[in-house]
Amino acid sequence: MNIDSVRTLFGKNLQSCTTVRQLEELEIAYLGRNGKINELLKNIKNLQANEKKQFGSELNKLKTEITSALQDKRQELFAKNDESVSVDVTIPGDKYPKGSLHTTTYAIEEISKIFEKIGFIRVYYPEVDWEYYAFDALNMPAGHPARDDFETFFLDTPAHPRLGRMLLTPHATNAQNREMRRLKSTPPVRMINIGKTYRPNWDTSHTPMFHQFDGLCIDKNINITQLKGTLDYFVKTFFGPKRSARIRPYDFRFTEPSFEVDVSCGICLGKGCRMCKSGWLELGGAGMIHPNVLKEGGIDPTIYSGFAWGWGVERVFSMKEGLMVDDLRTVYGGDIRFLEQF
Amino acid sequence: MNIKITYNWLLEYLDTDADPYEIQKYLSLCGPGVERVDKVDNSSKGGLTDYVFDIEITSNRVDMASVFGIAQEAQAILPRFGKKAKLKQNPLTELRFKWAEKFNDKSLPLTVKVEDKKFADRLITVVLSNIDIKPSPKLIKERLEMCGERSINNVVDISNYMRIALGQPCHIFDYDEVKKHTLVVRESKKGEKIITLDKETVTLPGKDIVITDGEGNLIDQPGIMGGFNSSVQKNTRNILLLVPVFNGAMVRRTAMLTGKRSNAVAYFEKNIDDDRSESATIYTLNMLREYAGATQSSDIQDYHPTISKKKTLAVSHAFIEERIGIKIKHEECKRILENLGFHTSFNSKTTKFTITIPTPRLRDISIPEDIVEEIARIYGYHNLPNTMPPAVFLPKPEEWEKHFETQTRIKHFLKHIGLHESMNYSMVSKELIENMNLEVKHHLKLANTISEELLYMRTSLLPSLVRNIKENEGKADVLRFFEVAKVYYPQEKELPKEIYKVALATNTSFMDLKGITEALLSELKINNYEQRKAKIHIFSNQEVVDYVVDGEVIGSVGKLSTQLQHKNGLKSQVYLASFDLISLINHAKIISLYIPINPFATIKLDLNVKTGKRTYDEIKKLSFTTSNLLVKMELVDIYNETLNVRYYFSSAKKNLTEEEAQKELQKIKGLV
Repeated sequence: MNIDSVRTLFGKNLQSCTTVRQLEELEIAYLGRNGKINELLKNIKNLQANEKKQFGSELNKLKTEITSALQDKRQELFAKNDESVSVDVTIPGDKYPKGSLHTTTYAIEEISKIFEKIGFIRVYYPEVDWEYYAFDALNMPAGHPARDDFETFFLDTPAHPRLGRMLLTPHATNAQNREMRRLKSTPPVRMINIGKTYRPNWDTSHTPMFHQFDGLCIDKNINITQLKGTLDYFVKTFFGPKRSARIRPYDFRFTEPSFEVDVSCGICLGKGCRMCKSGWLELGGAGMIHPNVLKEGGIDPTIYSGFAWGWGVERVFSMKEGLMVDDLRTVYGGDIRFLEQF
Repeated sequence: MNIKITYNWLLEYLDTDADPYEIQKYLSLCGPGVERVDKVDNSSKGGLTDYVFDIEITSNRVDMASVFGIAQEAQAILPRFGKKAKLKQNPLTELRFKWAEKFNDKSLPLTVKVEDKKFADRLITVVLSNIDIKPSPKLIKERLEMCGERSINNVVDISNYMRIALGQPCHIFDYDEVKKHTLVVRESKKGEKIITLDKETVTLPGKDIVITDGEGNLIDQPGIMGGFNSSVQKNTRNILLLVPVFNGAMVRRTAMLTGKRSNAVAYFEKNIDDDRSESATIYTLNMLREYAGATQSSDIQDYHPTISKKKTLAVSHAFIEERIGIKIKHEECKRILENLGFHTSFNSKTTKFTITIPTPRLRDISIPEDIVEEIARIYGYHNLPNTMPPAVFLPKPEEWEKHFETQTRIKHFLKHIGLHESMNYSMVSKELIENMNLEVKHHLKLANTISEELLYMRTSLLPSLVRNIKENEGKADVLRFFEVAKVYYPQEKELPKEIYKVALATNTSFMDLKGITEALLSELKINNYEQRKAKIHIFSNQEVVDYVVDGEVIGSVGKLSTQLQHKNGLKSQVYLASFDLISLINHAKIISLYIPINPFATIKLDLNVKTGKRTYDEIKKLSFTTSNLLVKMELVDIYNETLNVRYYFSSAKKNLTEEEAQKELQKIKGLV
């Protein structure tokens, strides 16, 4: 074969080539080690010295032509390949399982992260407890009217001679005395207790079981500005940087002074609007720990002071935008149509 | 407790330029929380126009549960917001006994006997004659109604009006119905009965305070409600006014045990002071004289066994500043306290305040922290900066850390593979326990539940999860739930053991739930478990398996027995799994151990094994002990009672040949 017939043959072959695979075979057939170009090159030794130069240059030209034609054809075939399937790109992709976590789980995880960042450790204490830890240790002696504010489920078991009746804790504050004792009554204390709490109310805005997070900070020279700062940090992290916290006078037995804590309304940011009326929404209680509570935990109130708060997990979570549940019972009703939303 | 007062009523005691909404805002920031302000306009009916405040009074501040009490607070608070506020009059200091003497005609006798001084800190009594019972004047009537009190007649209304104005409950008897004109205050016997003003019969639990007349008839349930037999009626001519300070704890006990509440209970149980009763008596006498034509016809008898003593408190300036967290000049502290009625002196050498507590606050103010509150709230909590407590490092017990960490890992993993987390009440009904063939007697029982649904503390998460499946049947085809929560095992004389469980429930298949379970164990890097066919009473005998690690059963998976499926009214079959969280925590690892990658080839060979002779777990164990070139084994398929098992052979020293691998397979084949 001579150069021209190889060129003609290549042209035909290239034309009938329809896939990238065929193209790769064609490339090997012409440019490969035993390809047609190398075949032709073998003829060079039979030529005269003066013909060699011309033959060489023509062969080189052919090789360049073939290389470039293959390259063009490859691009053409690639492009054709990508065009070959027509697809409705709006059809849903393959399905993967989608589960859900309970809203309270999300809330608890977020709250504990926020406080762990500033050194409050999450603790783990009983939900079924003695009267002593829920009341007496918190400056609420037996018969005190303040106990009425914590309507309580009691258990049908004999009372403990020293610690009183067995109950379902009505607040997460029952951890405070235990945590002071765990640390051998030696501050600093930085605690966040998140747990199940129980009160005998069951209607659209109450469930007999709910969750509270109770914070406790004890150290030398703890003051009101630090309580304000800590709660404002929580509010800004949990609800958003534009929100703020404020405290108002209140009365709890376990703290003195005691406060009611509000968060500025997310819509008007505290100015007052149709949704919130006063500009502020009630979050829960807080205060400077009563010296009797410290004493009961074995801590000397003339050396140490502290602050504490105890808020409802469901309450603060439902105050986030778009999470207001019209009937709180839904949260613990177990309906898949509620659960799967989260 | 909440009280209602009106704006114009407040202005009788307070000179201010603050409007009702300013009062609401500023008082709420520094003092009593004013929950609502409602404008009431009765002008179209020829009546009054006023604003009604609904105010929450915390239980330590019963001293301000009155129009005058709020005026005193406003006087201290409003000027801090640039508002004028001055008391126009102070009935507590101005109205005293000496004022009344001149009107007394002493014509009617009265005897008061108190059997024990524990019943009351004070009882003031006085007889009035010449009463003209008629409707109250418009102002009294409308104000009472705005404040949520029904108008009855001038005499009864005056007692309510006085309570709202000054915060002191009182009671008025028909004097002629009090036999022998004698009041006896004594302790009740169990089962004694009294018909109260509202015509209800109250049976007394015993050891209550009661008042009888001279013939032994019960005529008053002290601190709660008067008796019907001696109540003021249309034809009443002479009355007996009683202004008491009863023992708060006793009144409260009777109210709790009889379920009988009234406005008076709310005051007495919070222990009102024993000083305002004097002013309240004079105030009431004046009103009765003016609006009911009354004449005072006896001495004022003042039984006052316990007179509150003046109390002073020494508080250092440094303590106040340290606790609030800012510098406040001692002059400013003093000014705030004086505005609240505390007499205060400052010793500049010791830098201590000596603070005399005003009588109405004696029961509330007892420690230096109380003084801190007074100064801080009037200074304004909103004026304090926000700071943070000093950063400290506190080690968290490893056990707690692992607990929370693992719980989170489990929950998120199960969510990501498509399960839904359910959270059920810790309390369950008797039915729920019995529906799972559990023993009621093994459960802690609530003593005062509000619903049969909440009677026992659960010892298993499965009954609640079965109910979740049942209640969601038809709402979704595929149901896969999980719950991580405590169960409560009763213990003799001790708190119950609170044990965390991880439980799963599906309506899919045994293999589906087994797959989920094994995926979870794999996620927790628990790979060294054995599986044993188990026998658990709630599950079917065939489809039930225990997972065992180092000889310890860490949990089980099974199909709910057909009997229980029907007992629970379930349409579909239910598959359940339950694990001890602590076991999962103990065996879980964060990451797996590193095994060097084998550079030599792996040869895959398949083997068919008939089922029935050995369990898969046994085949697996046997295969690995038989061949030390076996590195992995997997089940490819099951058909016609035949397992299609794929074996992976490899050596760490060289490339195996097909023949060498076949030889290994034949060894295994011979045994399984």
